[in-house]
Amino acid sequence: MALNGANFACAPGEVHALLGANGSGKSTLAKIITGVVAPDAGEIRVDGQTVTVSGPADMYRLGIASVYQELSLIPQLSVAENILLGHEATRACLIDNRAIWAQAARLLEHFSRSLGRSLPIHAVVEELSPAEQQLVEIAKALSRSPRLLILDEATASLHSREVEALFELVRGLKDKGCTVIFISHRMEEVFRLCDRATVLRNGQTVATVDLKTTSPDELLQLMVGETERPERVHKEVSPGRVVLKVEKLRAGRVLREVSFTVRAGEVVGLGGLQGQGQSELLKAVFGAYPLESGLIEIEGRRARIRRPADAIRAGVVLVPGNRAHEGLCLPRSTFENTTLPSLEHRSRCGLLSASRERRAANEVIQRLEVKVADIYQPVSTLSGGNQQKVVIGKWLLNNPKVLLMDDPTKGVDVRTRLELYRVIKELCSRDVGVLINSTDNAELLAVCDRVLVLYEGQIVDELTGDDLNEANLVAAGLRMTASAHNSTRGETTWGE
Amino acid sequence: MRQLPSTEATGLPPGSNRGIPAKRWLVNPVLVAFLLAGALFVVGQVLSPGFLSYSQILNVLRVASFLGIVAAGQTLVVLAGGEGIDLSVGAVMSLAAVMTAHITLARDALLLRALFEVILAGLILGSINGLGIAYLRIPPLVMTLGMAGVVQGLTLVYTQGQPKGRAAPLLNEIVTHPWVMGIPGILFIWMLLAVAMAVLLSHTSFGRRLYAVGANRVAAALSGIQVSKMIVAVYALSGVFAALAGYLFVGYTTTVFLDIGGDYVLRSVAAVVVGGTSLAGGTGSYTGSVAGAVVLTVLVAILTTLRMGAAGRQVIHGLVLILLLAAYGRQRRLRQ
Repeated sequence: MALNGANFACAPGEVHALLGANGSGKSTLAKIITGVVAPDAGEIRVDGQTVTVSGPADMYRLGIASVYQELSLIPQLSVAENILLGHEATRACLIDNRAIWAQAARLLEHFSRSLGRSLPIHAVVEELSPAEQQLVEIAKALSRSPRLLILDEATASLHSREVEALFELVRGLKDKGCTVIFISHRMEEVFRLCDRATVLRNGQTVATVDLKTTSPDELLQLMVGETERPERVHKEVSPGRVVLKVEKLRAGRVLREVSFTVRAGEVVGLGGLQGQGQSELLKAVFGAYPLESGLIEIEGRRARIRRPADAIRAGVVLVPGNRAHEGLCLPRSTFENTTLPSLEHRSRCGLLSASRERRAANEVIQRLEVKVADIYQPVSTLSGGNQQKVVIGKWLLNNPKVLLMDDPTKGVDVRTRLELYRVIKELCSRDVGVLINSTDNAELLAVCDRVLVLYEGQIVDELTGDDLNEANLVAAGLRMTASAHNSTRGETTWGE
Repeated sequence: MRQLPSTEATGLPPGSNRGIPAKRWLVNPVLVAFLLAGALFVVGQVLSPGFLSYSQILNVLRVASFLGIVAAGQTLVVLAGGEGIDLSVGAVMSLAAVMTAHITLARDALLLRALFEVILAGLILGSINGLGIAYLRIPPLVMTLGMAGVVQGLTLVYTQGQPKGRAAPLLNEIVTHPWVMGIPGILFIWMLLAVAMAVLLSHTSFGRRLYAVGANRVAAALSGIQVSKMIVAVYALSGVFAALAGYLFVGYTTTVFLDIGGDYVLRSVAAVVVGGTSLAGGTGSYTGSVAGAVVLTVLVAILTTLRMGAAGRQVIHGLVLILLLAAYGRQRRLRQ
């Protein structure tokens, strides 16, 4: 349940922000408005009339258009074809290319003018830069002449000049009476562009505020709410020597000069809003994401990690974020999934002993208390929580030194979640260093000794001890303290 | 947790699914394939008395063995997933047969050399398939179909359009003559291969990794398996098995012609599918493919005993293959 009692209204000619921490439901709300997700209950009213939006056709008919962060462009088609895809100009039942080119050029004219360079309408989309693709995506939404435009993280891949161009465009639309819903992790942009904001928390709307009269601190208060610090998972051991040292990892705009260390027996969290490079960082350390540069040391020794097999040999293992897609071979048995990554430790000339394999699997299954009726049945027959235990358990037979975990308790029930925390604690007592990404702040607070907050591929903050609390986590994830205190430009904009 | 019977205790051939509760046996595709083979034998007996005689059964199994050997490679390729299929097995088999006859020229002394060269040819051609699929990302269907064309051309160049030579007497003896209780040598070779395949799939790291790669490539790669190397390996093995089948087939036919293995492309895929191996990869066994090879061979034998002309036989055979594949495709969807 991503949303539970969310109410939200916006007026014509308004730029309205949706704000909230991870999992508060802002994307789900946007998807309901555009008909991507069907609501279980509730209604959508446009101009006071109740409507049903069950797909893009309905959405366009109602004058709604949306720009998603995951682009909806077809890479092999040209810019012009993409922009007018689905409502091409025709002449005698045939596509009228001249008209399409003219329309595309007109829609991109604004960007060309303010950026001082024209976007090639005949270019194939896959040859464009991510920022240019984003602009094409925006032009595509505009081609529907919407009355309501949703921009979901539309600025994430744009450079500052392109953001300026977009803002000009949005202000122009606003003057024409168009409503814009703006979702962005950049608070500074929200304050500069938006008139009002609706704050969501745990799937509920908390408040709708006027941004001219609201301070960043008040907004933060609304997003965080009254929270008590969750009970920490108690650990006996104190962190030992450094097991993982990462220096200046770079991968395009996704990871920019990331450096940090993890000690034996320490749990380090990766916080911040979703999609700021946390998953990519974990994969990069594991050799499953291409790096431009950077240094990785395991137990003080430089490790050349080009592929997961190298990482595993060096003692680094990954519990990936998507259990069904990346973690398990679903049609294969629990037994096989559990023993898969450590086969070579037990094989003799490639041959496996059935009894030794079974003992190994049972050892893991008992240690993690996996509830399984028959270890030779497909792992897909297990419950989600028990499947997740298998994804973690398959690494135990390798005796890892560093355990990387990408959102390991997503979609896992509370009891299993606590059991997984117990597993993490047990591994720490065996001097394993744990690096864990979580979209759930409560989880980071419960298990981590230290949290590194990522923002657009960089570590922007490190929280530890008493500073490690919900308010600081949310604020650091939005760079709120930074923008509120330092950005004078931001303040003048609110005063207009 | 319930303790499970070990492989040995279930009495199932190794490689089949272990620890299956009794009621699930009815949907065990390997068992279904064996029952189907048995049923077809009975049908044959009804249509033409004497079909179920000991010698006739042995004869059917002897013919099935070549399909079974080709299907061993096809099983590995299909198990590895990623829309894996090897359409070059027929051409490789033909080339191997032509080479065998050409090299030995009916002399026993050259049999080992012929075997070595034929296997090497299969290994190289199969490896090229695998390299193209794994590293150049050519779809398996396209890569292996193209390879089939290339190999057919190579065969033409090799023979200059006129295959010559014939089987060495020893090869003919190994394949067709009875060894023990009237059972010809080729069946022992096939049994040995079946045991080796079962061990490979169920009791080696290679086999476990193969199933993992077929079931989920991403998860396999994130478990440290080097997926590309596995893919090259299975196509290389498929080439080797096709070449071996061609080599032995000369012992059965004694003379060769250019497209001697052409029939085996679609039939090897069908044998794998009838044996319960999912075309999506990741589940199945060679034991099933053995049963599948027998089913398809009995089917042809029945059509032959009906004195049906070659054209009619081909039409019916094709229709039955389509029906079987459709039925198994449906079953897979139901299981998901």
